[in-house]
Amino acid sequence: MSNAIYTSLARQQGLMQEMQVVANNLANSSTTGYKTDRAVFAEFLVSAGDSQDSVSMGGLAGHTFKMAPGEMKFTGGEFDLAVQGEGFFVLQTPQGSRLTRAGHFQLSSEGALIDGLGNGVLGAGGNPITIPPDAAQVSIGSDGSISANGQLIDRVGVVKPQGELLRDSNTFFEAPEGFAQFEEATVVQGALEQSNVSPVLEVARMIEVQRAYEAGQAMMEREDDRISQLITSLRER
Amino acid sequence: MKSLQIAASGMAAQQTRVDVISNNIANMSTTAYRPRVAEFSDLMYQQYLTPGTITSQVGTVVPAGIQIGTGVRPSTVSMQITQGALSQTDGELDIAIDGSGFLEVTLPSGEAAYTRDGKLNRSPTGEVVTMDGFPLADGIVIPDDAQRISISRDGEVVAYFSDNAVGQPIGTISLVRFVNEKGLEALGDNMFRETEASGPANRLVPGTEGVGLLRQGFIEESGVDVVQEISDLIEAQRGYELNSKVITASDEMLAATTRMR
Repeated sequence: MSNAIYTSLARQQGLMQEMQVVANNLANSSTTGYKTDRAVFAEFLVSAGDSQDSVSMGGLAGHTFKMAPGEMKFTGGEFDLAVQGEGFFVLQTPQGSRLTRAGHFQLSSEGALIDGLGNGVLGAGGNPITIPPDAAQVSIGSDGSISANGQLIDRVGVVKPQGELLRDSNTFFEAPEGFAQFEEATVVQGALEQSNVSPVLEVARMIEVQRAYEAGQAMMEREDDRISQLITSLRER
Repeated sequence: MKSLQIAASGMAAQQTRVDVISNNIANMSTTAYRPRVAEFSDLMYQQYLTPGTITSQVGTVVPAGIQIGTGVRPSTVSMQITQGALSQTDGELDIAIDGSGFLEVTLPSGEAAYTRDGKLNRSPTGEVVTMDGFPLADGIVIPDDAQRISISRDGEVVAYFSDNAVGQPIGTISLVRFVNEKGLEALGDNMFRETEASGPANRLVPGTEGVGLLRQGFIEESGVDVVQEISDLIEAQRGYELNSKVITASDEMLAATTRMR
């Protein structure tokens, strides 16, 4: 069959997947601590037949996420935390430790600091943080130190991953190669980090994807016409 | 074509946000109302190519892999713990809580409910009741011939009579504190119920162990910041529109596919 059709088909498949990435970014434009996804395309070569020639096709090869910080939204919440600059909070989930930039925390009925799903937030020492029940006004310093009634309770753990991060749902990241305590981290109390999705860029990308898809479609139609014309003219001979 | 469903989840999320915002704005004059805020989180990721997959015998690995997200969902709608402004009413039985804590109310079922709405009244039998007629759990009864009632900042209720300049203590109002106030279940009518997540009710004297003080003659206004709500509303509306654009674009891509021969 025609290589031109296969080449466009590979492109079309890739564009469909990229559309999903754009849709997911826009759907998460209000998700606290969300990081924009980026699709990376790469060329792959396929042998075109008996000769030495080859055809180059494009396909989705990988993913990156834009780690740039999102905007800070001041909420005034006592346990709404954000990391300024680099670093992640660590949560103790049933699947193991997970990193997150979404610091919308609250207290459990036992006074442990937890996220919206009930996962415990870990302190700098790697243990879950517990706030005494009689603490009136909990204040969290820029280095993450938690104090109430003039006494130091614990310190919010902020870590830096070692190696690549793996994306998980609920704005969690998994660090398969582990993570280390990041001492220079800056924690902001009463603020939440917004999604870092830029709607303008995403919409521009969306239009680009859509038009490229239509162009690919037109290309395939032309190719189809060309082949059918070829067949007709051959038959007429 | 998953982008259609992904964009639909985005529209649903923004819709939830508008619902929450509209409820906040509707309650901008509700006594002691605490604004709610919707939080979102991303859905699971489809792993087409897991990062770290070995790509050769010499041990090279895929650095980033291919993970495609599947949309968004509302994760929590939580109460913002804010102190509303106190407005002076000079009502004898109007009390505002300055700080954290709740008044305990006994529901007709005998169950306890908690409220910050201190617009109290006297029942025909002299009992101190809420606007709905539910008595305070502290069981304060005001004598018929009492001329004036004074409520101290730490909750002591004193009745004054015409024949005696010295007041007579008739009870104390205590405040209830929860470890996790956000875990309370809203019952409507400004009332809340204790849940597993809130922790047990902890009855305290006002002004001790972190609970607030009482202020007679004041009520707490709604904690809704209208400017904030309106700017959130605009954001939610634009977010909704952006997601609908994705649906249009995906639809056009599908239309292009179906035109293919």
